[in-house]
Amino acid sequence: MASAVIMSFLAGALMLCALASSVEGGVLFSTLQKTLSVEAEIQSPVAPMGIARAGDDHLVISWVLQGDAAAREDAEYEKVSLKLCYAPVSQVERGWRKKNDDLHKDKTCTKAIATQKYTSGGNSTVWRVAKDVPGAVYFVRAYVLNANGTQVAYGQTSNEITVEPISGRHASIDVAAAIFSAFSIGSLLFFLALENVRGKRSSSK
Amino acid sequence: MAPNSDWQEGNAKGEPGSSLHGVTGREPVFQMTMETVGEKEATDLKGRKFALPVDSEHKAKTVRLYSVAAPHMRTFHLSWIAFMICFFSTFAAPPLMPVIRDNLGLTKVDIGNAGIASVAGAVVSRLLMGTICDLVGPRYGCAILMMITAPAIFCMPLVSTPVGFILVRFFIGFCLATFVSCQFWMSSMFNSKIVGIANGTAAGWGNMGGGIVQLVMPLVFDIIRRDIGSEKFTAWRIAFFVPGVLQVMMGLLVLTLGQDLPDGNYAELKREGEKVNDSFQKVFLYAVTNYRTYIFALTYGYCFGVELTVDNIIAEYFYDRFDLNLQTAGIIASTFGLMNLFSRPLGGVLSDVVAARWGMRGRLWNLWIIQTVGGVLCIVLGLTGQLGPAIAVMLIFSFFVQAACGATFGVIPFISRRSLGIISGATGAGGNIGAVTTQGIFFMSSKYTTEDGIMLMGIMIVACTLPVIFVHFPQWGSMFCPPSKATEEDYYISEWSKEEQSNGLHHASMKFAENSKSERGRQSPPRSKEETVVVDGV
Repeated sequence: MASAVIMSFLAGALMLCALASSVEGGVLFSTLQKTLSVEAEIQSPVAPMGIARAGDDHLVISWVLQGDAAAREDAEYEKVSLKLCYAPVSQVERGWRKKNDDLHKDKTCTKAIATQKYTSGGNSTVWRVAKDVPGAVYFVRAYVLNANGTQVAYGQTSNEITVEPISGRHASIDVAAAIFSAFSIGSLLFFLALENVRGKRSSSK
Repeated sequence: MAPNSDWQEGNAKGEPGSSLHGVTGREPVFQMTMETVGEKEATDLKGRKFALPVDSEHKAKTVRLYSVAAPHMRTFHLSWIAFMICFFSTFAAPPLMPVIRDNLGLTKVDIGNAGIASVAGAVVSRLLMGTICDLVGPRYGCAILMMITAPAIFCMPLVSTPVGFILVRFFIGFCLATFVSCQFWMSSMFNSKIVGIANGTAAGWGNMGGGIVQLVMPLVFDIIRRDIGSEKFTAWRIAFFVPGVLQVMMGLLVLTLGQDLPDGNYAELKREGEKVNDSFQKVFLYAVTNYRTYIFALTYGYCFGVELTVDNIIAEYFYDRFDLNLQTAGIIASTFGLMNLFSRPLGGVLSDVVAARWGMRGRLWNLWIIQTVGGVLCIVLGLTGQLGPAIAVMLIFSFFVQAACGATFGVIPFISRRSLGIISGATGAGGNIGAVTTQGIFFMSSKYTTEDGIMLMGIMIVACTLPVIFVHFPQWGSMFCPPSKATEEDYYISEWSKEEQSNGLHHASMKFAENSKSERGRQSPPRSKEETVVVDGV
């Protein structure tokens, strides 16, 4: 019976192994050429000060093929993928944002902004900073993709953008937490008092 | 020699009372021949009959998992579910860490500190819980602790800084002390022959909470995000109300449905004079002067402490070393905790099975072997570089490490009767100290890679299990030494002074001593000082 148990576990382990996503080697970032120039600006109803508030402010991002790039280089350029990337200062002590030359393993640019069709004249987009963007310092990078979806070139902003995140807290959650906590302590004291009274009553019988 | 009145009650030398009429108590006790004379007259304080067969202390002699009969099985189920919910609450944050770390801007050091904080709080609370169980009973201990720590769980939705996060995890971690009340309660409700399986099953199913939570919290988070439409940074906060509400509900159930001892609650028994108020100083003294307390606190740190450490690091380990995505790493992490469904109970069962043949010496060998094999497997896990074999090794390793926890608590109930609570608490605290130490040495800094840390942890397990060799019971022996001429009564009565004995405070211990004779194993010759039966009146 023990061997049957062990066998079923090894079988389960192999199944889990099959589920695990296999990793193929990706494009190396160091092989990409910087052929786009990208600009990003914070658009805010409140006076900007270099900080974008998640959920409220917008980023205006524009990209264009660099002037000194040879004309035939963009023959295979199909799409441009814009991403919000962590600046090095926000990657310190946080292994889940680590830079890796292999773009399949790289975690620098995890937030997708937009994907646009490539035109040699360039393009721009306005993006509202999403509410799930963590508080950190960022820059914007544009990857140029070919017809297969593989990165062939890139461009990135030279200035950094600081995002102020939402807290996630709401007044209703605070109130609910207070009520539940009070209930917990209150009902405990109630039952202890009840047992005390019952005890006194039966011992005085 | 024995005056007539003593015929009604047992006296200090283990001569049985009326419930064991006809048994001299000096023959070896064979498995399956537990005296059942007293069964028909066994009633609790209120005169109700017990649903399960009981021994002279009214402890149950079997475990019927499908029953909820009061008091034994109801207590069993309340106890393990309460402990499971506490484990659930303590480890509710790790599965949601990717969202929490972004919301609060946590660094790796913050997360490491929070992990240590979550198990450090229980070091103190487990020590205190032992005393509380000895003095006011496990029902109050468990229920009060759960309902006092529930507000800490409700504070988690309000956290907005790394320091706040660490503090809240620290305070939530206090509720892991329900482990002590759970084990104490099982040892009070179930006979020594089956205490291993009762303790192991209750604690094992409780520990499963650490695995269940890895599956449930992400699910709740998803439901809140999809169906209520909350933002990620709000949804995880709302998700924390689930463990909080569960804990409050369970605390109330324990308070209203639970019962401290088979005969009733501490307060009622004290009033009726059946339970005496013990003094804290004495209970504490007999715990700290018993060297076995320290040995088991150390060894438990290297089975349970290792289990807690692995709960905190294993998902990240698989995620990083084998490049899995978060969901897959989470599923693998949960299997480690879920093995507790049967591995810890089996550890207790093995302890009981071995004790039937070889007694306490068998239990000690059983523990040493299981825990050492677990250590060796830990070393192998650190050295395994392929995913499939690593998962297989982890599963087998989890079995041995959790079975060792079950086997430890097959021995603990016999170390002391008077100070059982404090000793259970000290052992549990030792488990958490082991977790704090191990995480601090091997998994905090970048000095060791995680796989090296795991391998070194395995070496430490093997080294810290060796002290089991030195545990010696005069009446039963140790791993390498046979027993001396002492009896169980001698051992347990040494905890009561002459004055306390003359006041009759030791009777419960004497009943326990009687029932613990099964730890001699099969076919051991009688070793009592008087070989002949004492006829009353002579």
